[in-house]
Amino acid sequence: MYLEFAKVLHQTLFGSLAAMGFGVLFNISRKNLLWCGIAGGLALAVRTVGLELGGSLELASFAAALAVGAVVQMFQERIGISRNTLDVAGCIPMVPGGFAAKAILGLFALTAPVPIDPDKTLILSVEYFLRVTFTIGAIGTGLAIPSLLLRSMRSGGATPPARNPLQEPPDRA
Amino acid sequence: MAQPKTLAGPESLDDIAMTAMEFGKLLMECGAASSIVDEYAERVATALGAESVDLRIGYASLAITVRAQGKGVARMRRVGPIGVNQRLDQAVRHLARRVEAGDVRVAEVRGELTRIVDGTPRHPGWFIDLAVGLACASFGRLLGVDWLAFGSVFAAATIGQSFRRMLIRRQVNVFIAATLVAFLASALSGLGSRLAGSTTVESAMTAAVLLLVPGVPSLNAQYDILNGRPTLGSARAVWVAVILIFITIGVWLGQMALGEGR
Repeated sequence: MYLEFAKVLHQTLFGSLAAMGFGVLFNISRKNLLWCGIAGGLALAVRTVGLELGGSLELASFAAALAVGAVVQMFQERIGISRNTLDVAGCIPMVPGGFAAKAILGLFALTAPVPIDPDKTLILSVEYFLRVTFTIGAIGTGLAIPSLLLRSMRSGGATPPARNPLQEPPDRA
Repeated sequence: MAQPKTLAGPESLDDIAMTAMEFGKLLMECGAASSIVDEYAERVATALGAESVDLRIGYASLAITVRAQGKGVARMRRVGPIGVNQRLDQAVRHLARRVEAGDVRVAEVRGELTRIVDGTPRHPGWFIDLAVGLACASFGRLLGVDWLAFGSVFAAATIGQSFRRMLIRRQVNVFIAATLVAFLASALSGLGSRLAGSTTVESAMTAAVLLLVPGVPSLNAQYDILNGRPTLGSARAVWVAVILIFITIGVWLGQMALGEGR
């Protein structure tokens, strides 16, 4: 396998800058912005390596989110930022906003009085839409797994006490 | 450790319910996931003397039932616009831990919360604008925008963020604001990139509006669903879908203005 290290470095640097910029928008203190940069850099490094090794965008994003979620979970107490915010700041450079815009723009193009190449436009829009959905799903799931695992480990894998269905609803709304 | 509390009567239960919901409301407005809101509201209520706590978290309101010494009250409270404010979120959680430790009395908690809301620092506006500009320009590089368009994306996103803050101050509807900001940022970015001789004008227009992409709500929607709150998760997901449509309308208008795209 051939890894283009310059590309990995480039993506890591700009992923880091994007995460720090969003950290400012999220009102993270200046001393903690560095952690956002590390999380964003890590996310883009793992995703780029995944893509360079031939993985799909969704798989690479999942691996990156899993790595960020695990690292944040390990260092959260020391960092002093909420896990959720740091997860999001780190993974936000991977949110496929560009694909989402292209998917919706494609649907707009289909409603033109004389659509140009409607079959191709529709297929592309659906493809972009699916990629957005799967990528966001992959990021969310990847981030959630470390905390859900930790919660299970803290509870010792014990089964929660059975609920009385007459007294408690099965799901909280 | 929480000190044992003696409830004077229904007023005390009311205080407990409203105080716990105030914590939950602030955490919601700071962008916390529902599991955090639930955890901290329950911790505060329990520390103040509640024996059992049930919280319902909606997108725009919270409802709570607290019980103690054989009595119970149910209260509801409106949640304001949901944003992201990390330092306020941390301050609210810190206060909740102080309440749990018995450092703050019931009567003082509401005053402390007001002090936190008023006193939590924010970055200066110009710093936020520049940081967001840099973030979008970096996004642009990740999307393959060439160096000729880098400066245009940076400038357009900086101006777009400044315009967005102005619209928020004037309490313009969030969806309309998203369209207006997306139009301004994408048009400026496209125009600048074209004048600079960039070959990635379309990507530059998209990159300049990424400051509007609702990353926190989209991930919170999934957290909430995974944590057994599909109603709130679905509400967040619908909000994300609608804001994306309004952003795209702004980009589409920008493309029409510049004769780009279709």
